[in-house]
Amino acid sequence: MEPILELKNYQAHFYTRRGIVKAVDGISFKVHPGETLGIVGESGSGKSVTHLSYLRLLPSPPLRIVGGEVRFKGKNILTLPDRQLRDLRGKSIAMIFQEPMTSLNPYMKIGAQLIEPLLIHTVMNKKDAWKKAIAALERVGIPNAEPAMNRYPHEFSGGMRQRVMIAMALTTDPAVLIADEPTTALDVTVQAQILDLLRDIQKDTGMAVVLITHDLGVVAGLADRVVVMYAGHVFEEGSAEDIFYRSAHPYTLALLKSTPRIDVPQGALPVIPGMPPDLSRLGKGCPFYERCGYHMDVCVTEFPTSHQFGPEHESFCYLERPPQ
Amino acid sequence: MSTPPTNASINPPIARIQNLKVHFPIRGSFLSFGHKHTLKAVDGVSLDLAKGEILGLVGESGCGKSSLGRAIMRLIKITDGSIEIAGTDFLALEGKALRQVRPNIQMIFQDPYASLNPRMTVYDILAEPLFTHTKLNSDAQMAKIKQTLDLVGLNAKTCKKYPHEFSGGQRQRIAIARALILDPKVIIADEPVSSLDVSVQAQILNLLKEIQTRLGLSMIFISHNLAVVKYISDRIAVMYLGKIVEIADREALYKNPLHPYTRALVSAVPIPDPKLERARKRIPVGGELPSPLNPPKGCAFHTRCPLAFDRCRTEPPQLIAHSKSLHRVACFAVEENRPS
Repeated sequence: MEPILELKNYQAHFYTRRGIVKAVDGISFKVHPGETLGIVGESGSGKSVTHLSYLRLLPSPPLRIVGGEVRFKGKNILTLPDRQLRDLRGKSIAMIFQEPMTSLNPYMKIGAQLIEPLLIHTVMNKKDAWKKAIAALERVGIPNAEPAMNRYPHEFSGGMRQRVMIAMALTTDPAVLIADEPTTALDVTVQAQILDLLRDIQKDTGMAVVLITHDLGVVAGLADRVVVMYAGHVFEEGSAEDIFYRSAHPYTLALLKSTPRIDVPQGALPVIPGMPPDLSRLGKGCPFYERCGYHMDVCVTEFPTSHQFGPEHESFCYLERPPQ
Repeated sequence: MSTPPTNASINPPIARIQNLKVHFPIRGSFLSFGHKHTLKAVDGVSLDLAKGEILGLVGESGCGKSSLGRAIMRLIKITDGSIEIAGTDFLALEGKALRQVRPNIQMIFQDPYASLNPRMTVYDILAEPLFTHTKLNSDAQMAKIKQTLDLVGLNAKTCKKYPHEFSGGQRQRIAIARALILDPKVIIADEPVSSLDVSVQAQILNLLKEIQTRLGLSMIFISHNLAVVKYISDRIAVMYLGKIVEIADREALYKNPLHPYTRALVSAVPIPDPKLERARKRIPVGGELPSPLNPPKGCAFHTRCPLAFDRCRTEPPQLIAHSKSLHRVACFAVEENRPS
């Protein structure tokens, strides 16, 4: 199947006074139509910057896209003029964010915010747009959708605001939904509701979802395939089963082992020593080598090439066999 | 008032909290003509903290877990109730007497970026409590600071540095050192790992556990993360709208949650295992969290509870022992053994 979204050796760096911060440094992955791709990583891994940067949602400078391609339906979107990219962003690739209070305009009634993309990016008139927005609100489970259109964001709870955000992303029937930590600010019981909603909507619409999160549990529940990122690099990619049951990268394995979980008794948690590296002072080697229990001399000098462990399972590590 | 039976463990409690209430007056708007609301952040909580135990306190935002922690520290005004620390009535103390007891109970906050003064060096941060509460000379202070830094895994050379020179995990180590430097008996840790990444979180959790064991401390560990609480706690209390709805040993609480709210909460925590996670059955919680300004009558959870019946709507359930065990739960459906 043709991927709907494809990143090839994509690089996005910040040029700051303190030096070049290589936030995204040569990553490649594909998103297929109708699948959920989980992108896991800790803060600073580049998981959000990747998407924010090619969608031109970050100020440039300091950001500069220094290399690679981002293909949407086969077409490189990095070279699109701003106008066309804006259209793509409004219609084809939608994004929802972590904190729905800061991503909704507090001065605008949600109805006005919901119809805006439709008025700008489609030929729909206001009346039809209004109807479509109500339908979207109903779809995401907002009770009394019609009167809700005339309310302000602060009148909704956190979970309901995230539903409004999702409704807004859905109105233009995007082909790809990028969900950046969509449940991180929510309580667990609300998180469960929002994740169920995302799953249902994806089943209905067949859109591709890119789920960016630091929570391995959230990924386990939703993602078909998973990309693990660290310090601007992809470390491992594979099906959810590959990543969770057959982790080939020492970082993935360490992350899984050091995550507290409620279903199994855990003795002392194995710890990943040290901390994530300073992205402005990265050497040529693997950015994880200092914290890695398996590192070899070569890891210090050269970033590993990919090792294939299965048809769609690859790990960027010199280890020939998965660590135990 | 008679003392309700408490599940004092083998050890005598180091802290005993009885019927604690923290009510915040909310001034109405100009138009409400002086009509006053009260936000009952903590509404009648009784807890015993045994010597050497870690008590986890979980609940969702707005349940009052942080207010409870701060109230125990006497950082916010307590409306009613009593707190005993190591046998002394903590709430009766004022002035000098209070200052003498304060070192016994220390706090660690969530955000190590906000809880450390950016203008103070690590030395200043750690020396201040010693200066205020002890009569140690500067050599003895330095020795104590070095010893405490060593305990939290920081090099003594870090003394001259400022907080901004450290990563989040290391800052939290400084905050832990500050809490430990006066040799407290009780530590209140309010979401101490919530702002940290997974790879660093495990380091801090292990550190807290290790220190607790080594020094024989008692700890109240407040968190919204049920997996983290399960890892670190001996016993866990679940809060909902200002009240404890269930309290039990760790294993009992996760293997056999009794309160419908606890069940829903436990079932909603994602498990990092695709097959298990996808095969799980969630227990949904209906509706929204009611406003704490106007909590439902009777059991505060009845508006969202699948088991609610008439009695729940009128009468508030008490936290009582389930089948004579240390597992206590405030639910009429459990009490009357109704099918769930």
